[in-house]
Amino acid sequence: MLVKTTNFFLRLALGAVLLLAGALKVFNPAGFADSVQHYQMLPHEFINVVAIIMPWIELVAGVFLVMGVWVRASALLAALLSAIFMMAIGQALARGLNIECGCFGTVAGSRIGLSHLAVDVALLLTSVWLVRNATN
Amino acid sequence: MRRIIQQTLIILFGSSAIGLLVNAVSPRGIPYTRPPQAQVAPQDVISLQDAQGAWSTGAAVFLDARAPADYIAGHIAGALNLPTEDFDQRYPLIEPLLGPDQPIIIYCDGKLCDLSHDLAEKLKAIGRIDVKILLNGWTVWKKAGQPINTGSKP
Repeated sequence: MLVKTTNFFLRLALGAVLLLAGALKVFNPAGFADSVQHYQMLPHEFINVVAIIMPWIELVAGVFLVMGVWVRASALLAALLSAIFMMAIGQALARGLNIECGCFGTVAGSRIGLSHLAVDVALLLTSVWLVRNATN
Repeated sequence: MRRIIQQTLIILFGSSAIGLLVNAVSPRGIPYTRPPQAQVAPQDVISLQDAQGAWSTGAAVFLDARAPADYIAGHIAGALNLPTEDFDQRYPLIEPLLGPDQPIIIYCDGKLCDLSHDLAEKLKAIGRIDVKILLNGWTVWKKAGQPINTGSKP
């Protein structure tokens, strides 16, 4: 019972975060492409395709989590995304890049820092928990 | 587990397809490939010495391309904050403060900071001719003991 309630709130929270993050980027693909470029991780040929596709994966996985559809699969995607974000932010911090996160579009403009990594760790842990414990 | 991986792949490819489709029909759509990023051309860079000269005579306007929080924490005295990513909203507020052909000096922070470069491109695209970048600007300016301010006022 306790696990079920925990799962319910965790999937709502995780879903809402993904939904918000995805929706804000979907409306401004050009801005998100700039953000992706600032991380200096990808060859320029791939930047726009990633910027076009990734927000939709966030958005759809977020909607599924909130609605309780295919929860474990959506949580698995959320885990993959958080891992990618952690790598992106980690390498940017390590190289001393002074860039905007771009995590929630450009609405909440803030320079990347350890707090973003901490949020990502929380997202990753939540996702992994749901992959292991949620029922579909 | 196999079923979960199947569902994951369906979501992955389904949402990718939606994304590509929406991008194709949306007025906000972007090209599928991005042109290589132009390097900062040597003639677009201004030395610290020249920037100091332009600052002391008041000839140039300094624009801080960083996020507002960074600007408030400290900026070149007199510099205006124009975060690259809010260009469309904030430029109209700054434009009246610029002379028609007044030189502009842009800076951000860090040797690998792209913000200045992006801002320079945007300013050139709307017809500003005299746009220079002070590389690693905030750090070199502060190190040189030049005038700085904190807070939201220039």
